[in-house]
Amino acid sequence: MNRLHPLSAVTYAIQYGFLWLWVPIVLVLALGGIFDPISPAWSPIAAPLGFLAGAAYGIAYYYRFEYGITPDTFDVASGVFARRSREIPYGRIQNVDVRQGVLQRLLGLAIVSIETAGGGNTEASLNFVSESEANRLQDQIRRRTAYVKEQRRTKQRSANEGEQQGSQRPTEPDADSSDADRTGAVSGAETDTPSDPTAVPPDRADRTDPDSTPVDGEEPDAERRAYASEPDRQRRQRLFDLQARELLLYSFTSFRPAAVAAVLFVFFLATDPIIDLLVATAQPVGGPQEIGEGTATNYGILTVVSMINGIVITYLLSVAYTFATYYDFELGRTGEDFVYERGLLQRYSGSIPVEKVQSVTVTANPLQRLIGYAGLWVETAGYGPESSGGSQSAVPLAEQSRVHRFTENLTDVETPTFRSPPTMARRRYLVRYSLVAAVIVAAVFGLAQVTALEGWYFAAVVFVAVPPAAHLKYVHIGYFVGENHLVVRSGFWQRRTTVIPYYRIQTVSTRRSIFQRRLGLASLVIDTASSRTFFWGTPTIYDVDLEDAREAHTAGRKRLQSALRERARDDDLGLTVDFT
Amino acid sequence: MEILNPRIRLLWIAQGAIAALVLGIVLAAVDQWATDVPTSVIAGIVALGLVLGIAYAVRLYQVWQFELQSDALYLERGVITFVETAVPFVRVQHVDTQFGPIERALGLSSVVVYTAGSRNADVRIPGLTPDRARDLQDTLRELAVESEADDGV
Repeated sequence: MNRLHPLSAVTYAIQYGFLWLWVPIVLVLALGGIFDPISPAWSPIAAPLGFLAGAAYGIAYYYRFEYGITPDTFDVASGVFARRSREIPYGRIQNVDVRQGVLQRLLGLAIVSIETAGGGNTEASLNFVSESEANRLQDQIRRRTAYVKEQRRTKQRSANEGEQQGSQRPTEPDADSSDADRTGAVSGAETDTPSDPTAVPPDRADRTDPDSTPVDGEEPDAERRAYASEPDRQRRQRLFDLQARELLLYSFTSFRPAAVAAVLFVFFLATDPIIDLLVATAQPVGGPQEIGEGTATNYGILTVVSMINGIVITYLLSVAYTFATYYDFELGRTGEDFVYERGLLQRYSGSIPVEKVQSVTVTANPLQRLIGYAGLWVETAGYGPESSGGSQSAVPLAEQSRVHRFTENLTDVETPTFRSPPTMARRRYLVRYSLVAAVIVAAVFGLAQVTALEGWYFAAVVFVAVPPAAHLKYVHIGYFVGENHLVVRSGFWQRRTTVIPYYRIQTVSTRRSIFQRRLGLASLVIDTASSRTFFWGTPTIYDVDLEDAREAHTAGRKRLQSALRERARDDDLGLTVDFT
Repeated sequence: MEILNPRIRLLWIAQGAIAALVLGIVLAAVDQWATDVPTSVIAGIVALGLVLGIAYAVRLYQVWQFELQSDALYLERGVITFVETAVPFVRVQHVDTQFGPIERALGLSSVVVYTAGSRNADVRIPGLTPDRARDLQDTLRELAVESEADDGV
């Protein structure tokens, strides 16, 4: 195991020294305020002690930080009081970055970061090592990673040959290497060539050999390779254009929460003129002359009119925002990437590598369902330094039947026949929403105690909404365990139907809260690598019978394995890029 | 199914005790700056927190189980919400062994398994003896290297 560059001990000591300086100060001040025997006057003595302790910790941290290259993994062990030892298999490493700031360049130091797939943090960060060590590490890790990946391909290829022996001559060593080329060209993840000749498999030479002629079995691949190397590969092919009608429908039927934030922001920025304006608009229909005058009725009218104003303005803002954002939306493909472009005032464009797509979601809110329209989104894992992954709109809005056809073309999923949770689940929602209603009534009651509000018991009217709300939530929950996909649907306001290919499953969990256990229900959480966004949770099948949940759990696990085997054999993207 | 080392209960009880202590300090702060809170009430709440913490720790130890199955690491845990998770080996990105100061004092260690998933991205098995943790890390690493998929995600 190796240590970092000795200069890092100095930087760690300074860093932790200044960090820990504050710990005793805050502790003394906070505790001194609460407990009398502790005096805030101690802080001038406590602070240098904190600094010294921090500096000592920093130096100890340096001595307790070790990293090393082993045959299978890159290991990092760190921590003074809490220890962590991490082993990262080479096959999982995606990037090795070497960074240098100005100061580090002057001192001949560098920071090495090692990242694996999936969003989130850097898995291992070495600050600092010397420049030469950084280059050595980068080179070594790269070489080993390439070697592992090459070996894997060799293994796969021999497995393939074993299965296709009848149709292919055993003398052909080049069955899959064109795939390797293509993958490298598309993902850019394996751009490095091992410089160690021992790590180079024998067929690498064959690959560049112009005389090697493809045999029957691999012609499609060879064609694809030729296609990939053509210069007009970059030419874009149209997949979907948002028509004017669809754009308008989308703008008017969708609502952006950002609009609420914008309106509130403007309101807080210019409260007085806006209140004057609201009073002026309410006056003709019976609002008060000025704030501070008028009867209770006047104020009631003012409140109602202002609320209507607020809602209308927010809605119009949302419409305008959506219109400007999705104006002239186009989706196309370039090679194996989706590319989109949109925007009125500012054009946005981006690309989504098809191989990084984790799941596909069809969304529709009640209005859109009413007019028979829906939208299509793709969820991706992070695939570059500037992309954190998440959801991208592939088709903002189109007729439902078209969107369903697109989804089926894209993922090759069969038309799902949804299963519903047992009616017991509805009872849960009834109880849950009743509790929410009770909280609302209690809040209004509390308000009535401290203000002049009368008739708080009228708030009990919210209980009327409980049964329909519970029912609507219940009927929109559905799931389908398909041949190659799991389809999960939920939500009334924003109904989302997510299609998850089995081979994208990361983990499966069956969750049962104490309430669910009482009713014999369970929820199944299917995690994929698409980063969870703020308002789109992890796909979950809610409140199904425990047995069904277990069955789906097992099915997901089993089919993940078989799907991965199939994919390895066929080298299949799993998605059809020309889905429209 | 493998259960955790019984000493893990002490760790969880210690964590509960720390939480109860923090709660006590917060209540003392309320007493000092806001309204009067009788000392007996503070003591009672802290004691109740302690008792609940102990009960929770004991129950959590009873339900916590894990197993290396043919294709996945399988875990069962949770008192309020009972969760059964399967982490396929092919999805394991890397494996850590970790221990904090209290764990170290108790002679315990945890294994943390990372996937590329966005939720439960880290699966932690606490309460293992350092030898067992080391062993499990090695096994998981070997299984992960062995069952590599073409693509991490």
